[in-house]
Amino acid sequence: MSVSSDHDVLIVGAGPSGGIAAKHLAEAGFSVVCLEQGEWTSPDQFHGDKPEGELMDRQRWHWSPNHRLIEADYPLDESGSDVGVAMYNGVGGSTVLWGANWHRLAPSDFRVRSLDGVAEDWPLSYEDLLPFYEETEAAMGVSGHDGDPAYPAPMRYPNPAFPIGIAGQHLARGMNKLGWHWWPGSNGMPSRPHRHLASCVRLGVCSKGCPEGAKAEAGRVFWSDAMAAGARLVTGARVREILIDGNGLATGAVYIDRSGVEHVQKAKVVILCANGIGTARLLLLSRSGRFANGLANSTGLVGRNLMLHPVSAVVGTFPDSIESWVGPGGMSIYSMQFYETDASRGFVRGAKWALMPSGGPLSIHSGLAGAPLERGWGAAMHRKMRRLGRNAVWSIVGEDLPNPENRVLLDTEMTDSDGVPGVKIQYRIGENEKRLKAWHMDRAAESMLAAGALETLKVAVTPHSGGHLLGTARMGDDPARAVTDAYGRTHDVPNLHIYDGSLFVTSGGVNPTATICALAARCVQHLIANRRNEKVAA
Amino acid sequence: MSRFTAEQRQVFGALADILIPEAEGMPSATSVGVADDLLDRVANLRSDIVGDLLRVCRVAATQDPQAAIGKIRAEDEEGFAALALAVAGGYYMSDPVRRLLGYTGPERRPVATDAPDDFGALLDPVIRRGHIYRSV
Ligand SMILES: Cc1cc2nc3c(=O)[nH]c(=O)nc-3n(C[C@H](O)[C@H](O)[C@H](O)COP(=O)(O)OP(=O)(O)OC[C@H]3O[C@@H](n4cnc5c(N)ncnc54)[C@H](O)[C@@H]3O)c2cc1C
Repeated sequence: MSVSSDHDVLIVGAGPSGGIAAKHLAEAGFSVVCLEQGEWTSPDQFHGDKPEGELMDRQRWHWSPNHRLIEADYPLDESGSDVGVAMYNGVGGSTVLWGANWHRLAPSDFRVRSLDGVAEDWPLSYEDLLPFYEETEAAMGVSGHDGDPAYPAPMRYPNPAFPIGIAGQHLARGMNKLGWHWWPGSNGMPSRPHRHLASCVRLGVCSKGCPEGAKAEAGRVFWSDAMAAGARLVTGARVREILIDGNGLATGAVYIDRSGVEHVQKAKVVILCANGIGTARLLLLSRSGRFANGLANSTGLVGRNLMLHPVSAVVGTFPDSIESWVGPGGMSIYSMQFYETDASRGFVRGAKWALMPSGGPLSIHSGLAGAPLERGWGAAMHRKMRRLGRNAVWSIVGEDLPNPENRVLLDTEMTDSDGVPGVKIQYRIGENEKRLKAWHMDRAAESMLAAGALETLKVAVTPHSGGHLLGTARMGDDPARAVTDAYGRTHDVPNLHIYDGSLFVTSGGVNPTATICALAARCVQHLIANRRNEKVAA
Repeated sequence: MSRFTAEQRQVFGALADILIPEAEGMPSATSVGVADDLLDRVANLRSDIVGDLLRVCRVAATQDPQAAIGKIRAEDEEGFAALALAVAGGYYMSDPVRRLLGYTGPERRPVATDAPDDFGALLDPVIRRGHIYRSV
């Protein structure tokens, strides 16, 4: 086993949270090393702009690690879960495949306990995060239309919104008839060239990987700057344990390289950015005499309160083509009409709807989705395929309240390619969430009909849509009820930090990456400002 | 070298034409090359399903194609999934099929920097209604 010399900071995971941490630290003069189990990708590896794209996104670029079968992935036992998990393991993390819907949480999301009597309040407010939202929106080149009344003013974006297209115009007219809120999409991709990003050409294939180099993928947005400032990124490096000294301080990590050789990477400070599943896995793997339940887990909360945001969809079929494969993909418009709590609906909290492209022929092929021969193939298939380009899809992300029984556990039977235990996902959709989904799907179907759809189809949980990995090491001021403080420092190990979606106290009803990025930016800038007070191993 | 013999292509083609026959103004699978160049293209892109496809061809070689499809579907889930993907995946990569469907995607639609937006007045009622977030 080789031992690498001390760096100031070791980061585990090269997704957006790790990238933001590395960029800030390296630019502030810290020596930084990041260990990432996956590899780099480049735009020419993605097929989304070619006819074969739909074949490839069913394997090499599948959202589920269990289907991709690449070495960097670790197995997930989902037999105890109501939804399949989506993630990508490589430089850029899950932003390699993300749909780039960009949303801040709303002010009420930080006060769910006080306002609605459920879950917990966050130890920070919308205003606390505001400057960090703005900072990361500038870095990610977010495109959107200023002034959305669903958020406090000012709500401005660095790049103008994309055209909403024919599908967006239909739906917008329908929403206007009903008097409901809608707004042009806010997307993590620039409508004009923006720093390291090309301008988006609306291929509509974001979640298959961007062949254009336009989507705000963390490798491009953050890692190029971090490395230019001196950060070291080691790929193909699977961390299997965080090391702790006799005083209970983190000293580095053990990792396995692609040839199976173990290394020790030493560091004064360790930051976990391995996402809401990978970070919990690593903490649970790092058991010792002192931390028998796993590292930083004196509360028993590590791995618990997993929130996955299973996505619901409502499809409306229109009489004529609405070119529904055209991007951004990304969303063309969204609605926050029913985002806030109205107890008369029979549930608390709400959801956001996003109008997304409906994809190509294979994505609407019912035979491939398992329909019987007489309905999914033959002449029936030819008739159904006439809907191509005529389907609009509301993708609905709703609040997923924390439940300690929804959790990440180590799987001692299934291991990754290095023999490290995989993960069991135990996750059930709660009663509040079921009611919320049913109510929102009914309203979304109404809006489709108001927009002129001939018929609608509701899908309560779309396959492999659990791609928001949240809550498994939540933040909070009280060490008895939270794993980290309001700046991501673990309460149990003073020089061990967490900056990814594990920190979320509640999930909100919007996509989380804007908030993951803002939290990482806030946490790392606090660490840098307080560097003199950081306790480190001797 | 081709991964499929002429006999295997024939068996595969017969199965493909049951799944995708000529109907509703659309051509059959084999008439657009699903058992020929499109099968090679699929196999090159998705070598992971080639083994399943060869097994399916073996099973179907000695049976009536209609009966073979029923049997594969009932008894070999992975085999049927591979067959279905290779047939549909190949068919919808075919240019004539895409033309007949009027499908031009995915296509590049760059946005001109000085292009006016396409939602202007549509937003007016939303703006008039004012803020809808819950203040805390
Ligand atoms: C298909 C898909 C669509 C999505 N769409 C959206 C969207 O539209 N909007 C939105 O807001 N969010 C979306 N997301 C979620 C978004 O991608 C994530 O929220 C975001 O990437 C999380 O950032 P992160 O840095 O916390 O973790 P990740 O991006 O997941 O990065 C974690 C990294 O850690 C590495 N890692 C983990 N364990 C180890 C280990 N033991 N050793 C070494 N390395 C390790 C992983 O390989 C990975 O690269 C989507 C996700 C997917 C999969």
